Amino acid sequence: MTDNPFLRTIDLCRHYERGHQKVRAIDGVSLDVGRGEFLAIVGSSGSGKSTLLNLLAGLDTPSSGSVEFEGAALSAMSRKQLAAYRAHRIGMIFQSFNLISHYTALQNVETALFFNGTPPADRRRLAMEALEGLGLADRVLHRPADLSGGEQQRVAVARAIVKKPEILLADEPTGNLDFENAQQIARLLSDLNRTGLTIMMVTHNLEMARECSHRAIRMHYGKVVDTGVPMTDLKNRP
Amino acid sequence: MIVRDLLAISTGNLWRMKLRTTLTVAGIVIAIAAFVTMASFGAGTMENIERQFHDLGLLSTMQVYPQRRPNDPEAFRGPKLDVAALDRFAKIPGVLLVYPFDPFTVKVRLRDSLIDARAQSLSYAAMRTKLFSKMRAGKIFENDSSRSAIISSDLLRKVGAKSADSVIGQPLIVSVQVSTIDSAFGHVIVDRGESALDRIRRIHLDSLLNNSDYRGRILRTEANEAVRRFVNGFLNARRTVSDTLTICGVIEAEQVGRLRMEPVIIPFKTAERFSTAGMSGNPTDLFAAMSAGNLFSAPDDRAGKSFSQVTINFDPHVFYGPIKDSVEAQGYRTFSFAAEFEQIQKAFIYVNMALGAVGLLALFTASLGIVNTMVMSILERKREIGIFKSLGADEGEIRVLFLVESAIIGFIGSAVGIVSGWVITRIATVVAHFYMRREGIPEMELFALPLWLIFIALTVGIGVAVLAGSYPAARAARIDPVEALRND
Repeated sequence: MTDNPFLRTIDLCRHYERGHQKVRAIDGVSLDVGRGEFLAIVGSSGSGKSTLLNLLAGLDTPSSGSVEFEGAALSAMSRKQLAAYRAHRIGMIFQSFNLISHYTALQNVETALFFNGTPPADRRRLAMEALEGLGLADRVLHRPADLSGGEQQRVAVARAIVKKPEILLADEPTGNLDFENAQQIARLLSDLNRTGLTIMMVTHNLEMARECSHRAIRMHYGKVVDTGVPMTDLKNRP
Repeated sequence: MIVRDLLAISTGNLWRMKLRTTLTVAGIVIAIAAFVTMASFGAGTMENIERQFHDLGLLSTMQVYPQRRPNDPEAFRGPKLDVAALDRFAKIPGVLLVYPFDPFTVKVRLRDSLIDARAQSLSYAAMRTKLFSKMRAGKIFENDSSRSAIISSDLLRKVGAKSADSVIGQPLIVSVQVSTIDSAFGHVIVDRGESALDRIRRIHLDSLLNNSDYRGRILRTEANEAVRRFVNGFLNARRTVSDTLTICGVIEAEQVGRLRMEPVIIPFKTAERFSTAGMSGNPTDLFAAMSAGNLFSAPDDRAGKSFSQVTINFDPHVFYGPIKDSVEAQGYRTFSFAAEFEQIQKAFIYVNMALGAVGLLALFTASLGIVNTMVMSILERKREIGIFKSLGADEGEIRVLFLVESAIIGFIGSAVGIVSGWVITRIATVVAHFYMRREGIPEMELFALPLWLIFIALTVGIGVAVLAGSYPAARAARIDPVEALRND
């Protein structure tokens, strides 16, 4: 562990009851993530990867342990503060894109700016810039159903980055994409990381994890079984 | 999230679910239309009453009566309602005019008809008040000494005149037969050639002193004889005072509450000739004079005269309370139309509440539709709520988002309901007017849609909708984003 990590989990647990059975979705995970780092989280289904991301995003509450963002414990935050944390500092991407089906691509991206105080006058411009930056200028008025999987995920990425978050949490961002689109998204995330954006990505795709991330951790039954080997030397990255 | 975003998201969602939204709104429309229709009927009736009160100036009119004994309503107690009292009332701040109700019995001859009628004298100033403003024909007399008279439409019917205009300018012979108490007493002393002394002489003094039966019989006989002679003298020694006046107007005589109007109205100064000549000889007047304590007053003694009723006309911009208090403090009873109107208003609040309750019952049913719609909406938009939360929406914003949707349903439903209610009242008015015309009833507006009713309908409609949406909104706010975003 480093002295002053950007994001830290300390003995993080998320247990819940399912019938009479106690499920240990996350079980004592301690983890440091540095600013600008691209961390891949790999593991089999049910290993707790997504649960970990939800805890980091403040969407879920740990049973014990804590998550600290720049030294501030999320557990000490009120619900309103947690919402503000997500609105300002966190961007999220999901495997199933989670776009609002009746909104256009532009509206979906704009939605991210509803909650962080962006003036209405600036929202459209910022959303357009984000979509144009991801090559979707001609798709802004299309609804998700009219877009390909890759395009939908790029819209989701645009929505996640339009508010200029400090950390991007990506939950299997290529899980529903074909190889070509997955490559495209992987490159996109690498590019974003190169701009200084901290990324934590859950993936099954070890190849992709190796290509994009600085290091990867492997989870198994809620525990980190491999604390992570640096994929590249951070200092050597431009 | 700013209000504009809330409205945009909410209206967008409602628009997307057009059929469901329309059906939900329709429930509110029907309920509010029913509420508005019923409440506007109550409001319309109230407005009609208020208009009548206002048109007749009743809200600025007060009747004053002498106090009566609790166990004998015919007997007065407390100060007399005399000219001095009238002068005192006139000095109360806000009082514009004070005039007595001083009726007397007359015979009137109009064309070929000779009719017993009641008359009252009124000053020109009193005639100019709204109370006497409903003239069917002609106009009021020009001054207090005018040799003219106003007759009521009732009297017009009695003489068989076909139109009110036809009697304007025609002579009205007014005559009164007056008796005096003096002649009544005169007959007690001498009646039919027999003096009281003759009768006293016939009494046996010994028997009167020693025989109790004789004494009782004599006292009863002589008391009865004295009363007979008094009444005989009062009723039979009458003289006729007569005058020919010109009919200047025909008034629509209406009895509103305790406001009395006699069929013949004569200018105040002109009427003095009749009213100061003596009592009419009518037993009613005799008893009234006895009751008022005027029996032994000289006929032309105006200062000693007292009245059974006085009307006070006050500034409509002045509250009646202090005037009423001031008059009652002097020992008189009052009747204020303004006070009665307040009671009517209070009663109508209950009537309106009862009518409104029926509409609210429908609104309650409609609110269940809102609950159903919103719950369905939440189930369908669970993922959307999860997305909003992942993007930084807090529970309050999600709650408000759904409450705004409910409020929009309530607003649209209320607005359309108010318009629908108004349309229903217009249709009902057209139908009612048709029947009123057919039955010869004066047309009147049955419904009213005042601003306060629109405001209440909107507030209640939106309020009930928001209330109905509060449970679904709370449920939406509690949705677990992790659950909502989980891959199916």
